Amino acid sequence: MSEYTGVPRPTAPAELTSDSPYTLPGFFAALAEGELLAAVCADCETRLIPPRTACYGCGGRDLTTAAEPHTGTVVSYTEVRTAPPAFADRVPYTVAIVALDSGAKLTGRLTAAYDAVAIDMPVRLVVRAPTAAEAELGLSYETAWPVHTFEPV
Amino acid sequence: MPDAHIVSVGTSPFGRTDLTGRDLFSVAITEAFAGLPDPAAVVDALYVGNQSEAYEHQIMYGSLLAEWAGLRHVPAERVEGCAAAGALALRHAVDDVRSGRHDAVLACGVEKMTAGGTAGATNALSAAFDRATEQRSGVTAPSQYALLAQRYLHETDATEADLAAIAVKNHANAAVNPRAMFQSETTVETVLESAYIAPPLKLFDCAPVTDGAAVALIAAEHVVDELGVADTVRVTGAAAGANNLAVADRNLTVIEGAAAVTTEAYAQAGIDAADVDIAEVHDAFTVCEALLAEAAGFAPHGRGYESALAPAERSEGWTDVALSTSGGLKARGHPIGATGIAQAVEAFEQLTGTAHPDRQVAGAETALLVNEGGVADAVTAAHVLTVAGA
Repeated sequence: MSEYTGVPRPTAPAELTSDSPYTLPGFFAALAEGELLAAVCADCETRLIPPRTACYGCGGRDLTTAAEPHTGTVVSYTEVRTAPPAFADRVPYTVAIVALDSGAKLTGRLTAAYDAVAIDMPVRLVVRAPTAAEAELGLSYETAWPVHTFEPV
Repeated sequence: MPDAHIVSVGTSPFGRTDLTGRDLFSVAITEAFAGLPDPAAVVDALYVGNQSEAYEHQIMYGSLLAEWAGLRHVPAERVEGCAAAGALALRHAVDDVRSGRHDAVLACGVEKMTAGGTAGATNALSAAFDRATEQRSGVTAPSQYALLAQRYLHETDATEADLAAIAVKNHANAAVNPRAMFQSETTVETVLESAYIAPPLKLFDCAPVTDGAAVALIAAEHVVDELGVADTVRVTGAAAGANNLAVADRNLTVIEGAAAVTTEAYAQAGIDAADVDIAEVHDAFTVCEALLAEAAGFAPHGRGYESALAPAERSEGWTDVALSTSGGLKARGHPIGATGIAQAVEAFEQLTGTAHPDRQVAGAETALLVNEGGVADAVTAAHVLTVAGA
């Protein structure tokens, strides 16, 4: 638990600042401290990553932030062989959709060779600070945002 | 509600060209208005589907194309929805005519993709993915669809050879489509031996990077009469809907957005999926044709991969629809913002009996168009077209 979890959806516009977990700067600040945040819908239990101010599952707005588990399993995966320019020097790399143990899903790079991956394989979230090269490729407000990947358990 | 007719269509050639986007539009509108009065004497408004200013460093495509068409002081705007932009533009044109707001509207699409090479197109298309999670993970269009394909092969009996057969079928259709980028046949062996781009998808599972433009003149019945055009196609259903931007948040093998908009388009047209004779679905990657055949109600869940088979050879529950008769995105070409209009061009030719005889579907009266943007159903538009007399 931290200042970012258990936070109800702000009802006043002025509360939606870069400190709020309901904005991307707030979401990434929490991630940098090791917390992957979701907004959890009280009405339909959908877990929304990153948090936002309305539920896409049911349209409701009774939301509270929670920290997601860092473990999960591979739902699907592939290998990127032709990359966007920002990732060109890393090919080939594996990308996966991971179902976290909470049921929430998240796309990320998986630090395992494509041939070593299988659907349902257990993985864990890794969060690290961006390298200098990664920071340079980001937009001005993204340079400090942490990088998330998955690794085999 | 006034009927909206497709009165006339035109395209540029699809492929790599030294022409710019506006030039490609000039080619397309020259074809569409051959034998018609000046566009300025007919057209009340213009919409243009266009994916990205990254290719030509040019926004304001609504103003530009209105100017190039000689249309002064008409409402004109670019519609953005990645690869669905063309059909979203078509839907605006159809809605304008159906609502009585305008009598004749030009639906356009244009994309000049090849200037920056594969790297330029890869980068421009990556802007369609969620910046907060997906772009940071280095995903690409082929890899996003490969995530769908991997899961589809896992959950169904489909094999990579089944997906290859879709590419082979679409190349065979394109071989007899003078508008197509690849007017050549291929074989399952060739597809299977092509290099993996993002496994399980290989080069020949992927639609190409394409330059191209397409236009369709949409008008009310009285305009059709005034112009004296004999063979038109009615737009009897038009629907659009958005879904999650991030692929992870969606069902990977049930394309819910496409199911929703095709259901709505069928309801407007008063038909069922079984009434559809031909369909242009968004086969940006071979697996899409399988997934969309299921979403559109042509195939049972998990059997859409049989789309290349003759109707008699398909599983119980399939309709006898002919899919991607143009060659599809795979082989006709996929100039992103123009693709939705190019689909309408194929349906216009099929329903007016003017397609090349070797790909003309005999007696085709009803067509479905499904155009997607982002990955799968991040945004989807569906149209039902019907021969004017039917």
